[in-house]
Amino acid sequence: MSLENKQISSENTSNFKPLIVAFCCNWCSYAGADLAGTSRLNYPANVKIIKVPCSCRVNPNFVLRAFQRGADGVVIAGCHPGDCHYTSGNYYTRRRFTLMKNLLEYVGLEPERFKVDWISAGEGNKFAAVMNEALEQVHKLGPNRKLRDARWKR
Amino acid sequence: MEKIANKVRETARLALANGEVNKILGWKKGDFWYDSYPAFITEEEGTASLIWDSFCVANLSKYLIEQLKEDIKVGVFLKGCDARAFNQLLKDNRVDRDKVVIYGLPCPGMIDPEKVKKAGLAKGLLDVQKSEDEVVFITKEGEQKFSAREFAYDKCLTCQYPNPVVYDELLAEEVERNNTTEYFYQDVEEIEKMSPDERFAYWVEQFSKCIRCNACRNVCPACSCEKCIFDNSKANVAGKAKVDSEEQFFHIVRAYHVAGRCVDCGECSRVCPVGIPLAKLNRKIIKDITEFYGEHNAGVNPSLDAPLETFKLEDIDPFETRAKGGK
Amino acid sequence: MKVLKKEKFPQIWQAINQAYELYLPIEKDDRVNFAQWTEGETVNLEALKTEISPKDVIFPQSETYLKFESDGKKLQLESVESENREYVLFGVRSCDAVSFNLIDNVFLREPIDRLYEKRRNKGTIVSLACSEPEENCFCSSFQIKPEEASPGVDVAAWDLGDKILWKPVTEKGQVLTQKFAQLMEDASQQDQEELIKLQNAIKEKVKELPLASVDPKVIKGELKEIFESKVWDELSQSCLGCGACTYICPTCHCYDIQDFAGGNCGERFRCWDSCMFSEFTLMAHGNPRTTQKQRFRQRFMHKLVYYPNNHGSYACVGCGRCIEKCPVNMNIVKVIKRLGGEG
Ligand code: SF4
Ligand code: SF4
Ligand code: SF4
Ligand code: SF4
Repeated sequence: MSLENKQISSENTSNFKPLIVAFCCNWCSYAGADLAGTSRLNYPANVKIIKVPCSCRVNPNFVLRAFQRGADGVVIAGCHPGDCHYTSGNYYTRRRFTLMKNLLEYVGLEPERFKVDWISAGEGNKFAAVMNEALEQVHKLGPNRKLRDARWKR
Repeated sequence: MEKIANKVRETARLALANGEVNKILGWKKGDFWYDSYPAFITEEEGTASLIWDSFCVANLSKYLIEQLKEDIKVGVFLKGCDARAFNQLLKDNRVDRDKVVIYGLPCPGMIDPEKVKKAGLAKGLLDVQKSEDEVVFITKEGEQKFSAREFAYDKCLTCQYPNPVVYDELLAEEVERNNTTEYFYQDVEEIEKMSPDERFAYWVEQFSKCIRCNACRNVCPACSCEKCIFDNSKANVAGKAKVDSEEQFFHIVRAYHVAGRCVDCGECSRVCPVGIPLAKLNRKIIKDITEFYGEHNAGVNPSLDAPLETFKLEDIDPFETRAKGGK
Repeated sequence: MKVLKKEKFPQIWQAINQAYELYLPIEKDDRVNFAQWTEGETVNLEALKTEISPKDVIFPQSETYLKFESDGKKLQLESVESENREYVLFGVRSCDAVSFNLIDNVFLREPIDRLYEKRRNKGTIVSLACSEPEENCFCSSFQIKPEEASPGVDVAAWDLGDKILWKPVTEKGQVLTQKFAQLMEDASQQDQEELIKLQNAIKEKVKELPLASVDPKVIKGELKEIFESKVWDELSQSCLGCGACTYICPTCHCYDIQDFAGGNCGERFRCWDSCMFSEFTLMAHGNPRTTQKQRFRQRFMHKLVYYPNNHGSYACVGCGRCIEKCPVNMNIVKVIKRLGGEG
């Protein structure tokens, strides 16, 4: 299936446009996003990218805050284990968010709404695929209400 | 326990008399049968009021952070769970081992006054006495005997370390308590079995009881940050509004911040004035750590790295979705 | 005076709920707290004290003042009016009923608190006398009489086994009574006699309570002297600095004002605060009370010295909740006794 086809056309099914917040490591996935862009791979516009110096800079609070203030899904993207610009940052990311993801699921969040993945600077394709998949799955689930602050308005 | 209580008093008295320590942290008895409360004693005479009974549940080790700000030597009585808490404080560089003398108290398990109340036995109760595995309730009308397990704190029923893991002097023989680990994760597993929506509904209901009093945090030996993010108005996370999302935020972060450092003392659940089962969050993390990174009993051996302080190259990787490569 | 049979309870809850919001002691997970009644809830009028005081009905834990929204150029402000209907708060014990008056002293004196006043005026309070006071009750130390209608309540009620005696005290109480009079009967001579018996029994029980002899008047001397007492150093050592005591206490009423910032929209709200917290009364220059001793002292000086100086009565009603809930068994009774020279 081509990426174009895989991309969901949210307008058809409903007018729900999922909002995905993606924390991308400056040294790999952020560049991967760039590559996806320059190679004209489609990835959805409602993925909001936040650049971080390393995936291990992502504080679990950031993830929660994103869900509180409107995110329907959150993705953290870092360098592949072994490739960290700072040698070992992503190994910490891996442990931290393995536990965090499980904890979030334990309090009731759907697993599809929170993802971590490894995307190198050369993997423009993978970047688009990961984001599209995240979007597609979140779209299926519908708008997120869990952890969302009721006072927040789009 | 009375014999050991005598030893507690004597040990404290001697320690102050011969200048081994400048201050003693122990427990005293208040107005009610359940009222055993922390005592801070600097004079020899004061040691006569020290006690050791089935209600000495308050953990004294966290007080050391504050007490050791003065340049003094402190003698402290610690039970099993308290000793693990002490080790965790040590590990987190919050106390100085050389300034503390630890008197270890092998712990027969503490009695939960709430369970006594619920059983309708609290009325007119004058005293509660506990032997090996029996508890005797004494009222004006007479005595009633029960199995001690019935009235033990939940945390004591699953306690794996009733004997202090660190001490300078042990005041009694080690106790043998064969609490099986069988039920350790029972509560967690029950929740894991639910669907995401059921789990969410369960926790929303629990969290919505929270009054944000911070008792769970303040009592916790793993929560010893100089400035908690929830006290830092500049961190912009200290929202105190009574809304679901703030409560969820607080609880997820609290549990996560002690991940790998929680000594499973159960104090958070015990002190929560509204009865939120916080241990079910901590235990979930302990369970995952055990499963993914191997058993780690925080506070048992302070020379080991906490699971989130370290990593292994071959750690499990639940995230890799596609093989590496491509463009 | 009227009589309401207990078998009529479900009916009257339903009826009241049609015309008012109804707050009752409701049991959930083995714990009883005041909450808004809906069909199917377990009402528990036997439990003496709710875990948390009912003050959050008249003074909610958090309450929005103001909403704002910006379209990038203009900021729009909208003041929030409470949308609450009139409400009935049923089953308030004497100590808690008196605590409402103490909070009134603070919020209903100039400058009057608009939100609080509105909410307070919408309420009709029905008290329920304490047939079985508990070991940690010491309301009598503050001249509260749990056998009588407490000052300020609209209707006073007494539990007579299979029925309750219902006595409207204020105009609001009369209105409530008239609305539901068809569910009640007139009290008979015998009921009146039973009431007196019950009241006498309660009086006796209160005298026998272990804390009956607690007397705040043992705290004597100049404010400054009490403030500088050595007792504070000693007592505050065990305090964890959590806010459990302040949040469950019926008379604590301090609050903070915070903003919720949600990008281009937000809210300004007030929420309970606790003098035990390190960021309490945080000002631009920092915090006036930097140690736990100072914060601990503040709580008890406020209840036992400052408030009485300002309003003529102690700011404690002896409900005993802090005795039950403090994680380390520190409480106002220990403070009173110690300040009075005991121990
Ligand atoms: S958890 Fe263990 S050591 Fe702690 S009080 Fe209970 S039995 Fe004693
Ligand atoms: S989180 Fe709870 S069980 Fe764990 S160390 Fe802290 S107080 Fe003890
Ligand atoms: S002790 Fe209980 S009520 Fe207090 S903040 Fe913790 S969870 Fe909330
Ligand atoms: S200080 Fe304690 S006894 Fe007094 S009103 Fe508050 S909670 Fe009740």
